[in-house]
Amino acid sequence: MRVFAKTPISDVGWAISRQPPSGRLLFTVTQSLLEAGCRLNSPPHILASIFLVATLCSAQDAAESGRLTFRILCAPCHGIHANGGRGPDLTLGTYSAGDQDADLYRVISRGVPGTEMAAYAGRVSDDEIRQMVAYIRSVGHAQTAIKGDIGAGEQIFWNKGGCGQCHRVGTKGSSLGPDLTRVGRQRSIAYLTASLLKPDADVTPGYATITVVTRDGKKIVGVERNFDNFSAQFVDLSGKYYSFLREDVTSMTREPRSLMPSTYGKMLSESEVNDLLAYLNSLRGTR
Amino acid sequence: MKPLIMLMLGTLALAQDWTSYGKNDLGWRYSELDQINTRTVARLMPQWMYQTNTPGKNETTPLVFDGMMYVTGPSNNAWALDAVTGRPIWSYKKALPANVNLCCGQVNRGFARRGNTLYKVNLEGALVALDAKSGTQLWESTLEDYKKGYSATSAPLVVKNLVVTGMAGAEYGTRGFIDAYDADTGKRAWRVYTVAAAGEPDGASWFGDSWKRGGGSTWITGTYDPALNLIYWGTGNPGPDMDGEVRRGDNLYTCSLIAIDADTGKIKWHFQFTPHDVHDWDAVGDPVLTDLVIEGRPVKAVIQANRNGFFYALDRTNGKVLLTKAYTRVTWADGIGPDGRPVPIAGQDPTEEGNRTCPGMGGGHNWQATAYSPQTGLFYFTSTERCMLFYKTKQEFKEGQWYQASTIGRDEPGNGRVDAIDPKTGKLAWYFETVTSPTGGVLATAGGLVFVGDAEGYLIALDAKSGKPVWRFQTGGTIIAPPISYALNGRQYIAVAAGQTMITFSLPRL
Repeated sequence: MRVFAKTPISDVGWAISRQPPSGRLLFTVTQSLLEAGCRLNSPPHILASIFLVATLCSAQDAAESGRLTFRILCAPCHGIHANGGRGPDLTLGTYSAGDQDADLYRVISRGVPGTEMAAYAGRVSDDEIRQMVAYIRSVGHAQTAIKGDIGAGEQIFWNKGGCGQCHRVGTKGSSLGPDLTRVGRQRSIAYLTASLLKPDADVTPGYATITVVTRDGKKIVGVERNFDNFSAQFVDLSGKYYSFLREDVTSMTREPRSLMPSTYGKMLSESEVNDLLAYLNSLRGTR
Repeated sequence: MKPLIMLMLGTLALAQDWTSYGKNDLGWRYSELDQINTRTVARLMPQWMYQTNTPGKNETTPLVFDGMMYVTGPSNNAWALDAVTGRPIWSYKKALPANVNLCCGQVNRGFARRGNTLYKVNLEGALVALDAKSGTQLWESTLEDYKKGYSATSAPLVVKNLVVTGMAGAEYGTRGFIDAYDADTGKRAWRVYTVAAAGEPDGASWFGDSWKRGGGSTWITGTYDPALNLIYWGTGNPGPDMDGEVRRGDNLYTCSLIAIDADTGKIKWHFQFTPHDVHDWDAVGDPVLTDLVIEGRPVKAVIQANRNGFFYALDRTNGKVLLTKAYTRVTWADGIGPDGRPVPIAGQDPTEEGNRTCPGMGGGHNWQATAYSPQTGLFYFTSTERCMLFYKTKQEFKEGQWYQASTIGRDEPGNGRVDAIDPKTGKLAWYFETVTSPTGGVLATAGGLVFVGDAEGYLIALDAKSGKPVWRFQTGGTIIAPPISYALNGRQYIAVAAGQTMITFSLPRL
């Protein structure tokens, strides 16, 4: 109901996100009641506390207003459901520029220098920024607890899984595939799970598979380093670097698939997969 | 004898210089120079580079005359360079006010020239006249208030004593127009709105008062037919881009080509490519004027590779459609009817949850400069093969703020081509495939060559008859601008802006 939106949005925006994890439970429990209550045209007598409903309805309104603004301004980079794209996934509940509301507000308002994240102060009002914060909070949820063991996952990463043969964590490992030093901040558990079990689902730009067939019929496959209209540069699984000119070979192709084995689902047990995911999720970089 | 010699000298000077956005009034981007040709091009090499040290996208078409190259750059910058050595002679910079709203970067696409005066727009929606010898500003005129979302990025077009310019800002709830200013004084001579107001002949094509923020910006330079005294100018998308419900109707004259009487500023005819567009398919591809023989009948045509995926040839005397043909993957229309109206396929509009349509938002061909060669009779342009998810979102209008009511899905990798189309039939003569979406514009030359830059920084020469790549150079910066050609002291040059650098090429001195 519109009347409830007159409660200062700024207060509500902060209030809802200041809830401790246990408060979120209360929020979830009352969610269904509220969804009905907020839509009633007459005062919701059935609910005990008018004040509580007013506050939370407004918070919902704020998040909904924020969602609409988000779809227009933020979705081109952060995805239509805030789950990432060219910009980071914002549903992880953890953010590289700080996890407080004030941090989110600052980032939207001032942008992040040196990145594509623009400053929106002046382009949208303070209230609209707070509404966007409210929306991001409403989709940012603590992820499903991971059952795995971080220490065991680390062992699998460097030994049985052989992940370090292609990936780097900190100063260890290889740079054939994407650097995973901060991957726990950058990707959701769902995304990491998909990447581990179905590596072709979404290949990080710049890591496509290059195949060159030489004039003498030899086929060489590797991970993209550059691919353009006249040449290809890539690194094969042994780490050997190649550079070819198109006119010197029979064919040269780039495919949006990954060279990572798609056999981890078979090679690792369910609990080993969970251990590995727990380890990946724990990788938060140096910041 | 004397007038003939003068005419020949005049033609020679015309061939040697590059003095307007589209090279000639007709927008051909065809250089009559042939020293660099299919036989000699293998020896083409860099002559000089000028580092502008100005970040941003370089989309400029440089002008060359009297031994000087005039280059506009991003963020209200411009330079005069010695055309033989690349050494800077003067520079121009206008501080950009804070909070100028721009959809697509602080770009500029070039100067216009009349005598010793240069004309350019500045981003805050201003038109300035500069003395070509010194860079001194002669006058400045404001097109429209930038605080209301208006801006300007395109090269003006000089028609007789007028400087004609478009504007930008259809993503900010503006109302598009084309303006003509007195070249000597900067006083506005006429304005044509590209959005018909309520009460005007085509005002009923807009629901309610939606025409007030109807978009239809005019951000690419038009062309001019001196014989018909008509200016041809393409118009952009209606606003808000993807929520068509708030602006039910055809939304004239957005996504259209309009023919304007140069003296009166009255619209002689209009042709709308995409009625009630909801995919951001601006009709701003170069409107190229050429006389063709179509099915045995000679016609004065205007041709365009439209962003909606179709190639069009129209009769430029009356705006009637002559022929149309899809040049890329199209899922939104089952061809174009004999009246020029698309035959729509249902269920292609953007939705709350996203709807997939081809071509994508950038279209089959976007704004990048096209070229027409009278030598081959072919029309050259870059195209993209890509589909996209289009989303619709309800959005309240606020003056001066982003008003797109929409977005698109994650960017998918797209590839593309350089296409050569026979404009008499619309048939593809050849194509050169590119591994990413093309970014650059095209130049055709009498040397039987087509020059084009790509996203990865290559400047490429293609055989104009076959499309075979015959030369390339890695410039080290993405090429968005179209190449040009000029001659000085008996040598032909090719020039292009790549990354932040202006580069010229020539054959080695013998």
